[in-house]
Amino acid sequence: MARVLRMPGISADATEAVLSEWLVEDSGDFGPADPIATVETEKAAVDVEADAAGRVLKTLVLPGAQVLVGDPIAILGEPGEEVADLDALLTSLGVAAVTDAIIPERRDVPSDPGSGAPLAERPDLGGRAGPLADPEQSSPVNGRVFSSPLARRLAKDAGLAIDGVKGTGPRGRILRRDVDKALAGRQSPRTPTSDEQAPKRPSTPVAASRGYRDIPHSRIRLATARRLTESKQQAPHFYLRATVRAEALLALRAEVNGDPSTHISVNDLVVKAVGAAHRREPEMNVIWTPDAIRQYDAVDIAVAVATDRGLMTPVVRDVGSLSVTALSVAIGAVAQRARDGKLKQDDLEGGTIAVTNLGMYGVEEFAAIINPPMAAILAVGAVRDEPVVENGAVVAGKVMTVTLSVDHRPVDGVLAARWLAVLAELLEHPVRLLA
Amino acid sequence: MPEHRPMSPASPWVEIVVTDDDWDAADPDLLRTIYAQLVWVRTFEQYVLDLAGAGLIHGPAHSSIGQEAGAVGSVLALTSEDSVNGSHRGHHQFLAKALHHVERKGLDPLAAPSDDVREVLVRTLAEICGLDRGWSHGRGGSMHLQWKEAGAMGTNAIVGGGVPQAAGFAWSHRQAGTDAVSVTYFGDGATNIGSTLESMNLASAWGLPVCFFIENNHYAVSTSVDEATGEPRLAARGLGFSIAAWSVDGMDPLAVHLAMTEAVEYMRRGGGPTVVEADTYRFFHQNGGFAGSAFGYREKAEERAWRERDPLTQTAAQLQRLGILTTQECELAISNATGVMDEIGAALLEADPAGKPGQRRIKPAEWPDPAWVDFGVRGDLAELDDAPMVVDESAVAVEETTFIDAVAAVMGRRMDTDPGIVVMGEDVHRLNGGTNGATRGLPARFPGRVLGTPISENAFVGLAGGIALDGRFTPVVEFMYADFMWVAADQLFNQIGKARHMYGGSNGVPLVLRSKVAMGTGYGSQHSMDPAGVLATSAGWRIVAPSTPYDYVGLMNTALRCQDPVVVLEHVDLYTSSGLGPVDDWDYCLPVGRAAVRRAGSDLTVLTYLAMTRYVLEAAEGHQVDAEVVDLRWLDRASIDWATIEASLTKTNQVLIAEQGAVGTSYGGWLADEIQRRYFDLLDAPVWRVTGGVASPSISKVLERAAIAQTSEVVAALDEIARY
Repeated sequence: MARVLRMPGISADATEAVLSEWLVEDSGDFGPADPIATVETEKAAVDVEADAAGRVLKTLVLPGAQVLVGDPIAILGEPGEEVADLDALLTSLGVAAVTDAIIPERRDVPSDPGSGAPLAERPDLGGRAGPLADPEQSSPVNGRVFSSPLARRLAKDAGLAIDGVKGTGPRGRILRRDVDKALAGRQSPRTPTSDEQAPKRPSTPVAASRGYRDIPHSRIRLATARRLTESKQQAPHFYLRATVRAEALLALRAEVNGDPSTHISVNDLVVKAVGAAHRREPEMNVIWTPDAIRQYDAVDIAVAVATDRGLMTPVVRDVGSLSVTALSVAIGAVAQRARDGKLKQDDLEGGTIAVTNLGMYGVEEFAAIINPPMAAILAVGAVRDEPVVENGAVVAGKVMTVTLSVDHRPVDGVLAARWLAVLAELLEHPVRLLA
Repeated sequence: MPEHRPMSPASPWVEIVVTDDDWDAADPDLLRTIYAQLVWVRTFEQYVLDLAGAGLIHGPAHSSIGQEAGAVGSVLALTSEDSVNGSHRGHHQFLAKALHHVERKGLDPLAAPSDDVREVLVRTLAEICGLDRGWSHGRGGSMHLQWKEAGAMGTNAIVGGGVPQAAGFAWSHRQAGTDAVSVTYFGDGATNIGSTLESMNLASAWGLPVCFFIENNHYAVSTSVDEATGEPRLAARGLGFSIAAWSVDGMDPLAVHLAMTEAVEYMRRGGGPTVVEADTYRFFHQNGGFAGSAFGYREKAEERAWRERDPLTQTAAQLQRLGILTTQECELAISNATGVMDEIGAALLEADPAGKPGQRRIKPAEWPDPAWVDFGVRGDLAELDDAPMVVDESAVAVEETTFIDAVAAVMGRRMDTDPGIVVMGEDVHRLNGGTNGATRGLPARFPGRVLGTPISENAFVGLAGGIALDGRFTPVVEFMYADFMWVAADQLFNQIGKARHMYGGSNGVPLVLRSKVAMGTGYGSQHSMDPAGVLATSAGWRIVAPSTPYDYVGLMNTALRCQDPVVVLEHVDLYTSSGLGPVDDWDYCLPVGRAAVRRAGSDLTVLTYLAMTRYVLEAAEGHQVDAEVVDLRWLDRASIDWATIEASLTKTNQVLIAEQGAVGTSYGGWLADEIQRRYFDLLDAPVWRVTGGVASPSISKVLERAAIAQTSEVVAALDEIARY
């Protein structure tokens, strides 16, 4: 029985993904759980696995194609299945018509499925490049913002960042009129002088070699930039800081690690404590959406992982229900997958708070930018020796500073302060985490 | 049982057989010249093979060793006024003609070569090596040897490709009132190709003084003449066209000379074309210095038998028998010539500093300048300097004119003022001005200058190409349908389009091709194309596309003065249309490379031409997209009006290229490519295009309409553009 394989949704906010590689070619058989294709989003490269043994009868998109989530990407059959009339099969599955539309890479020569005629050159399409998308259906591909050559030049001449301009052309392309509009908006608050009105062209082009080199943005770098910019612009951050005594935390860690088969980190304990704090203060286990504050039942926590490819924030599920050692293993596993570029769709979804830790670099304290759509991020500093006052006397102590960044839209200051107090209490009495 | 009446060809066919008596009767000076030429050609060719063996010749060296007698014997029956052209194996033909031109009174085999002879040898060797000193600055090489001054009009690498042009040289000789003749040399392989047979027919129909000189060396590369034809007696080709034919032993230079003398005399007294078949043999393979037997297609015994009849040894033996030269003198002539070739080679070659001892290389200074690679693809238009060029286009008084009347009127005016213009094509001399009236009134006014041709496009276009290469007359060729370009493709693209550049860049090819675009007339898939896109791929052509009577007159006047081949596109839709044309000025010229803005607009630049201009203007009228409509007028890469395009794009920032014809052969592709690179920063949208469909237009009226872009297709494109 032939069936359609569709583009899976890789992360919550992605409507498209790139089919980066077919791991099974046309007429290739696969076993259950074999990877069939690699699919990539801004955040992750994910293997699409077979749910049962079968055969790829026909791939419908070329490697590199940007595909809408839910659109057909291949026709699968039973192992060894042969198809005499592929076209009829495609028609019966209702996918023939979309074949071309979902392969943007072929848009320079999309062909009419019936005649093979190049649609691109047909007069009824004005010879333009392929079937037209609605201007509204704008979606940057691979993090790239489409803009016309003229729009780019005008923006550059005016010192305007093209990324910030809203495109109204085909596929959301930024056109001259969009740049003109953006420039008009920029200039309207005051009366520009005539000098300023005339866009100045640089008298000479910037030399290609002037003591620097341009490293092209990776997809992840662009995504990080875009999301964090968005976060800082849209989520009003406020910050709470607490310094906690860490002796008990270190002692507990040493005790647990006394078992040679176990190795937990301070960070594992912090994540566990965050999970527990979220259970105590469930109003913190939320995210902001345009219509409502969404409160989650389970506590999912993201952990920031630095990788060669950039910063990743995989999510650990239901932290509250995991033992410290199980949590440690789970964190280790997602961190490894992140470093290997093998994060799964699941690994990236959900979470209301992230934990980021630069303590291993000796950083005493820092404030982090919230990873949207989460409501908070906890920045964890190093455990350090400090003089502390104990019963009126100054003694040597071990302390750790944590800084909570909070999105003020769903969370008020008092709630966040309460949560932080709970967290501090748990960190200073970590045995409660084992209860 | 019906009666069987024997029939016979209308033309004679004889074999010339020479005996010692003929040698006895021959002028000793002629025989000395024959021997001297044979020696020069042989030693030259041997030297070329030596260079080829040393890797100093780039490309093939088609050796003529063994075949010298045919060229030498025949050329000595000609004068410098007579023209020759030849085949890929043409060193001997070219050398014989050039040597005869510089030493008209004859050559002495024992005399030191004159400076002129040395010049011929060094420039020919340089050309074969691809060097700047060559006749064509090394562009032509071994297979394209041309020295027009000597009447050597160019050898040719396309089998049969030069034959139609030779008919053109013959036509020019006769039209100029001379008794000069044209000789076209080709091999047995070329007797089976259409251009040769078409040219025989055309030359016979028109009684042209052209000799089809067949060097039957029995092998077309490795295919023997017996395999390639049912009539291997190739002189018999002439009989089918009522052409007088001579067969002769091509290893005997005197026999060839006697046969050729008869043929030339026959042509000079107006007998029409001739065929001379010289039975000969190339001692080596197709190219290089190895015998054909080494490649397995012929026997060593056969090669030995032919070598025993080596024209040099045969001639030497006769000269010795006649007491004209001694054995030693014959050998001395060869060793002297060999020494001269070594000296000539030393002028071009030097020891290779990076090579083994004895290894040579081309002297670096001898190479042509690589920067010169595209020089002379087309001319510099200096011929237009004194043309009555209209810059202010309101300077010409205009009135409403029917397009087709302007076509005939301007040609009549030009033929009046320029007796060199000749019009040819299918039915142009009948039907009251050809199939569309374009030559109306001209046959009666200009007898002998409006020539109805047989239906053989390759032959009559090639003939016109020959007239253009000759340069004394300006041919105007009409194609009844543009699609016939494919039939004449070799002559249009390989010959006429490349001739100027390939032969050095300085000799013009003044030819006008009036190509009728007949889409929309119900003539179907094979008669409805727009040739502009294909023609634009050819480097040598200029293309004009007039859309009004006024433009037609001015552009045709410019085209007729231009020393490049110019195709004037004529759309049959326009013939019956009317528009502004000149009142009484039929002499003004429109400048090369000047487009016309037919409608000013601010939103979109539409580039269009010919009959599509009108449809674009219709579509633009009243449309919300304010289109600026540019009628390109000049379409080829060298003549297109970039200034107007850029000015318009600077204003509108987007461009639509609109044309009527099928997408596959469409014109706009190269233009879109050029625009996106030249004007990337001016573009706010991709280059838009309107073309016809994928298929050629069909006969059925509705299908034909659907295949051709007109107003509604442009409107659809404008609507699409308006969405953004």
